[in-house]
Amino acid sequence: MRSRRFLLTVSAAWLAIGRGARAQSAAGHAAAFVKATGDQMAAVVNGPGSARQKRQMLIRIIDGTVDVDGVARFCLGRFWRQASPAQQKRYMAIFHQVLVTNITSKLGEYKGVTFTMGRTQPDGENTKVNTVVNRPNNPPTNVQWVIGDPGSNPKIVDVVAEGTSLRLTQRSDYASYLSHNNYSIDALIKAMQQQVEQNQASG
Amino acid sequence: MRAFFRSTPRLGHRVWVPSLLLIVLAGCATPPPASDPDALADYRQTNDPLEPTNRVFYAINNGLDTAILKPAAQAYKFLLPEAVRTGIHHMLGNLGTPVQLSNDMLEGKPRRAGDTTMRFLINSTVGVLGFFDVAKRWGYPDHDADFGMTLAKWGVGEGPYLYLPVLGPTDPRDFAGFGVDIAADPFTWVGQGTTVQVLGYSKWALGALDTRSRLLGEIDSIKKTALDPYATFRSLYRQHRHSQIEEMENDNRATVPVWFPQPAPAH
Repeated sequence: MRSRRFLLTVSAAWLAIGRGARAQSAAGHAAAFVKATGDQMAAVVNGPGSARQKRQMLIRIIDGTVDVDGVARFCLGRFWRQASPAQQKRYMAIFHQVLVTNITSKLGEYKGVTFTMGRTQPDGENTKVNTVVNRPNNPPTNVQWVIGDPGSNPKIVDVVAEGTSLRLTQRSDYASYLSHNNYSIDALIKAMQQQVEQNQASG
Repeated sequence: MRAFFRSTPRLGHRVWVPSLLLIVLAGCATPPPASDPDALADYRQTNDPLEPTNRVFYAINNGLDTAILKPAAQAYKFLLPEAVRTGIHHMLGNLGTPVQLSNDMLEGKPRRAGDTTMRFLINSTVGVLGFFDVAKRWGYPDHDADFGMTLAKWGVGEGPYLYLPVLGPTDPRDFAGFGVDIAADPFTWVGQGTTVQVLGYSKWALGALDTRSRLLGEIDSIKKTALDPYATFRSLYRQHRHSQIEEMENDNRATVPVWFPQPAPAH
């Protein structure tokens, strides 16, 4: 009886250690990934080159580090299932543009941006990495990066600035637009297109 | 955001409360029919039954902002160097510590109350009337506390979304909290006469300029990138409040007397 209990305790401890170690390494991976991605983005924003060139470089970084398809599906919510395959394809394409435009318009103007790494905590399947982003002439901002699949193929699935999630906000924006436009996915795609064109024209 | 509208209740509320009620009653949204359960679920989750009225006030505030507040905030940011603006921000925060402290206590957060007390003592003296945040460097960081958050801690639900003239985004819980905070603020009651009144209005105006100038980039970028800015601000307001409340509820630092073994710092 005693030996059985001992065995149980040992195996439970093993499991706990194993799980702890995995969580630890996932946290380490996630933090390293955020640090590397942040450094890359900051280098582009603070570096030389025209706004156009910087946009191209940021697109490459975003494509490599953000789970664009996952974020896109999340933002459409229940309407993703209602969309036809053709609509889904068009939506994906335009969402990619929207994301790039939003990120570049947020980052682009802040030459001299720096960030410091904070603590890392697990969040279900994901890992949250805290950073503080400093932009010249602006108050420092707490930015949390939600990293999916941090162990093997880390990707950014959400960015939470001062407690507000980018993808949740985007989803409620789309949901509200749809509810005021007869739930027409075509209307949404058209509005997204117009918005991208407008923002590109204005810089 | 709070300091922003501190003096509004002194306006002629006897006139605008009944007219407000009339507009509100006229502008209720029609819920979707029960035959569309998804849309009905969305409607309930959005919890914005006064949406048509709220949108009218949003448009009015937006106009006021574009015409008055935003240009003023831009001028404020252009004219004053960053160090001065940061100092003013700290000073306004320091003036808010009495209300902050009472809410820390009502929330049952002794460590937060201690932080607030130390912040007030250090920053009012070493920090030259609150201009410099010395306390933060000495290990007493700032946090948010208001009566809306206290009510949340006491289990009061936020209720439906509200968008009020001048005041902007809120909900019944936060609006009630806003009133209680004004009543609890010693500066509401201290002194009388022209000087005090001028000081009161200056504090209010500076608060508005400070808040707005810190959000110049963010609000522009939201208006540029949102398909429905009203809905986006609604979502942001709620998320921001939820995160403030969550942070307060999770702040359970132990209060251990110095002669006891100290707990390991959290990672």
